Amino acid sequence: MCFETKERRMKIPIPESSITVTIKSSGTAFATKEFVIHQKDISFAPDTPHILSLMPNFRTSTLNLKWSDNGSDFPYGLDALWQIQILRKEAMEVVTQVTYYSKLTHEDVILSWNWTSDMPLECTSHYVKIRRYINATQFLGPKDWSDWSPEKVIPGKDTEPGESGVFPLDPVVAVGSDLTFCCVHEEDQRITNMTYGSKSYKMMRLSSRSHAIRVLNASVSNSSGTNVVCRLENGLEGSVAFVGYAPDSPQNLSCETPNFLIIKCTWKPGRPSGLYGDRRTTYSLFERTSGKNVSCEVSDVNKDHVCGFPVLPDQKTYDFILGVSNPIGQAQSSLLVDITQRVRPKTPEKLTVTGNNSTSIQLRWFINGSFAEIRLLCQIEITSSHSDRKLHNVSVPGRKFSTYTAELNALHPDTKYQFRVRCSAADHFWRWSDWSRGVEQTTSEAPPARGPDIWRERSPSGESLRVFWKPLSLSETNGKIVSHEVSCHQLETVLERKTVPEPSNSTEIKLGKSDCEIRVVARNGAGSSPPSRITSVELPSDNVTTDQAVAMGNGINISWDSYPNMTCGYIVKWCHSSGSEPCSVDWQKFPSNTTNAVIKSALFKPGVRYNFFLYGCKSVGYQLLKNVTGYMKELPPKTAPNFIVEETSSDSILVKWEDIPIDECRGFLKGYLLSFAKGEKDVLKPRLSESGNPELKVNNITDLTKKSMKILDLQGKTSYQLELQAYTAGGLSPPNSLYVVTKEDSVGLIIAILIPVAVVVLLGVLASIFCYRKREWIKETFYPEIPNPENSKALQFQRNICEGNKTLKTLEMNPCTPNSVEVVETQPTAPKIADTEMMSPAAETTVPEDGSDSEMENHVVVSYCPPIIEEEISNPPTDEPGGSSQVVYIDIQSMYQPQIKPEEEPEIDLVTAAGYKPQMQLSISALKIEGHSPVEEELDKTAGYRPQTNTNAWNMGTPDSPGSVESNNENASFGSPCSINSRQFLLPPKDDEDSPKPINTGWSFTHFFQNKPND
Amino acid sequence: MAAADSPSAALRRDLCTRGIRLAGKMRADVLDLLDAYVEQQGLDASASVAAVEGVPLAAVERWDEQTGTQRLLQNLAAYRAFRALLAQMLEEQREQLGEAEAGLGRALAALLLQVSAFAYHLEELLRLESRGVPGEEEEEEEDGPPPPPRLSLFEQKLRGLGVLRELAQWAVRSVRDLRQLAKPSPATGAAPGLAESP
Repeated sequence: MCFETKERRMKIPIPESSITVTIKSSGTAFATKEFVIHQKDISFAPDTPHILSLMPNFRTSTLNLKWSDNGSDFPYGLDALWQIQILRKEAMEVVTQVTYYSKLTHEDVILSWNWTSDMPLECTSHYVKIRRYINATQFLGPKDWSDWSPEKVIPGKDTEPGESGVFPLDPVVAVGSDLTFCCVHEEDQRITNMTYGSKSYKMMRLSSRSHAIRVLNASVSNSSGTNVVCRLENGLEGSVAFVGYAPDSPQNLSCETPNFLIIKCTWKPGRPSGLYGDRRTTYSLFERTSGKNVSCEVSDVNKDHVCGFPVLPDQKTYDFILGVSNPIGQAQSSLLVDITQRVRPKTPEKLTVTGNNSTSIQLRWFINGSFAEIRLLCQIEITSSHSDRKLHNVSVPGRKFSTYTAELNALHPDTKYQFRVRCSAADHFWRWSDWSRGVEQTTSEAPPARGPDIWRERSPSGESLRVFWKPLSLSETNGKIVSHEVSCHQLETVLERKTVPEPSNSTEIKLGKSDCEIRVVARNGAGSSPPSRITSVELPSDNVTTDQAVAMGNGINISWDSYPNMTCGYIVKWCHSSGSEPCSVDWQKFPSNTTNAVIKSALFKPGVRYNFFLYGCKSVGYQLLKNVTGYMKELPPKTAPNFIVEETSSDSILVKWEDIPIDECRGFLKGYLLSFAKGEKDVLKPRLSESGNPELKVNNITDLTKKSMKILDLQGKTSYQLELQAYTAGGLSPPNSLYVVTKEDSVGLIIAILIPVAVVVLLGVLASIFCYRKREWIKETFYPEIPNPENSKALQFQRNICEGNKTLKTLEMNPCTPNSVEVVETQPTAPKIADTEMMSPAAETTVPEDGSDSEMENHVVVSYCPPIIEEEISNPPTDEPGGSSQVVYIDIQSMYQPQIKPEEEPEIDLVTAAGYKPQMQLSISALKIEGHSPVEEELDKTAGYRPQTNTNAWNMGTPDSPGSVESNNENASFGSPCSINSRQFLLPPKDDEDSPKPINTGWSFTHFFQNKPND
Repeated sequence: MAAADSPSAALRRDLCTRGIRLAGKMRADVLDLLDAYVEQQGLDASASVAAVEGVPLAAVERWDEQTGTQRLLQNLAAYRAFRALLAQMLEEQREQLGEAEAGLGRALAALLLQVSAFAYHLEELLRLESRGVPGEEEEEEEDGPPPPPRLSLFEQKLRGLGVLRELAQWAVRSVRDLRQLAKPSPATGAAPGLAESP
């Protein structure tokens, strides 16, 4: 075969095994080439495939690729592999490469392949190319891929001039998705930042006009979505992402019909999707049998979702599928129901009451629905003020939009009732409807159901009969009782008839001595009750005993013997009395076979005595059988019995007491306690029983008939305290006390007088004898012939004239009262004034601290005659500077004040100015200023006391300060003058002498004296 | 004094006073709504928003040279535009949020009522000045407004922000305009500039 071509390639048929090929070129001898081609050396590379279409879906970022497999070119059944490459960006970076498999069918088939990009297609250009590989199994030579097809491109928005924005636009994605957003902008604009919500993300450059951010694991957005904002230098681009959940499967799907017109299906939506508005979850109800679909309008807010589906004719069973969807996903739930078994009727309406008498009424109500196919069970609730709630069920055949009725019997007359109704399906109960609104109705009155319970009592005179009746209970009155009619019959003759209006419960009938049958009827607006009858005859009774009874539990138990002849039962009658009001009679009837009764009454009070009378009923009348006295509860007696002392002797007391009034006993009296012990009358004294007196003696008197008692073995002329208490089973009464003094024992008194007199006389006689025998010794001892002066009081001087008693002046040896003057050897260098100071009492401060007692022993004492003290007080020593004037009277101030006025004693002026007068050291201190000799120092140590601070300090006082001279004079009024013997008081303690402290620095005398008492 | 005592002047003054009160209340409500809107829509309160299309800007040059009628007409045009924009916002709000964020929807509806009432008030003032009230349909027909382009949700949010901001500005301007109108004219008894208004 020869082929001619102008190209440099040529297709020739594939040889069976090998072929010799000669290539000749026309015009040149050297252009001939010959070679052999074997089949196994030929490679098999299919034609390049051709992309038919590449369709983008920008909303889902999906590419759809379509191409033809050119299968008609190949034998049937060859395997074909297709390699598809996705490239992105301007640089055509390979994003992904996938291999697609197909089988060739010897026909041209269009193949399709989808790919979803993780990058929005708008963000940048996407390219797709494809090549193929045919697995030609019968071909012996090597097989190869075809060439790549030319790329198909989906251009990004960044390639379109003037296009800008954030992509994808307003996406709706599931929570947890990874999102990529890009911002496409103009070439000349620069992005400041990109944010998702409030967070800024790092940008990736896609092209010169496109940048992207990647958000991982997106969380649910709020109702208005999450803003994705791209901030440019001069503008703002954005998108809103809605991140939510796919719809939850509907839960608790339930369908029922309220009226056989519509089927209401309800369900719970489960987890909220987090998507609202256009993106909200939508519901549709699809019925498979009929193929009918209903779109459900549900509220996002309500938790229970409801959807209505019409009841279809001739269809009982419904197979529902509730479909749920939102932009992220969808779900469904199914339910198969027989609608006749899912009936919850609508709430009954227009409930009314018709036909009313005293015991029955008729109710009527309406139900809006078509219930012809079923029976209805309706429940009527009956409530009244004096009975429990009752439910009455009625089964009625269902009808279409009909009114239903029911009659209620056995109601109580004159009673206000409330009624309401609800209904359900009778045969297949599913649910009750809601209760209808309630209606009220009061039944009409009927005559009282029975006659009242009656009793009668003859007056003490026997002339009249008082008839009592008890009010009927509410269930028996059947209306408002207006009156009672009381009549008295003798055989069939009416002796008397009385109408007693309410609220009286007794009346009196004048009978005289005759008897009759009493009849009482109660009357209300509807009529009269049957009469109650009682005879007025009271049979005589004998041997009526009185028993005592105390309540056990909540009633008083009364028992009696059986009386066979009491044919019509027994009656226990008692009386309630409260305060001053007359006793109100009460009674209780018991059948003939009863032998005991527990009488209960809310009116019974503890501590109150009640008298019960047991009557037996015979056909001819009533007979009193027994009296019973009882207490609901026994209490201690309210008061103590009054008691008096009838007589007393030296060893006994006779006590008498009175009964306690019944009202104050408050129980059955058990006895008395008489206590006594020695004791004087004392208001504050505790009761004997509480005093704990060991001598207390108690007598328990249980014999209630005993009204006196003699207490024996008492002491004469002794005060005794007596206490008397009564007691019941409830306890002791308060005590009544008395004080009694027993009479004097005369024999004992005589003995008590005589014995001391005898003893005194005896002692006198013995003393006389002794004195007589020892008279010489007594004389010498007590009355010697030459008296010892030392023992003579008459010759004793008063030791302390200052402290001496003025009344003893007659014994004073005036005008020269002995006193002590201490003679101290004077220093030869001492100035004259020192003598004066020596004479001052202050000089004596040199004596030991043990005071005046030691003066006599340690010093020569010269008696001298001081002036009379009174004169010294009135005449200051400055007036008489003589010898006797050396006796200086000092007071408290004199410890610090000079006795000589400063102007008269300039030598001691400094000291005086210091605010006190050192009574001996004054002159020495003054001398110290000029020159202080050691001797003077010694004297300083031994004599008197020293200034407690330097004088300069004392001069610091202001002229009008207490430290001034005038102040000193004023201060001289403090304390009382005293003689030298009182100097001990005036001298400071030795400690202060040894270590004078400048405590008075800057301090006033007034202050000192004010503080003195505290010292 | 004579002008002040004339019934029409008194009525105008009364209308202006009530208008000022309405505008003041409207501004307070807009500011409250603006805060709620920014928070609920997740916007940046400081974000700059381009001028809203269709709304005359409250800021105007030579404001004091404007005649009373000019003021009223500009106010009326602005509030009619706001009425349409707020109604659109309300509708978009319902579409996007459904029954969620019902409080914001109620506030928007209330503001829409206030804007409508204020527009009616302005029409009353214009009638009082014996000026014809421009019809809305007529305007639309004349202008032939193109149907508003479908905006992205983000653009809707920004537009809402812009509308509320501009409405707040307009409330202030309206107060000033009405105060200016309420001033008695010494010469004619009419509002300043009304006499020479076209």
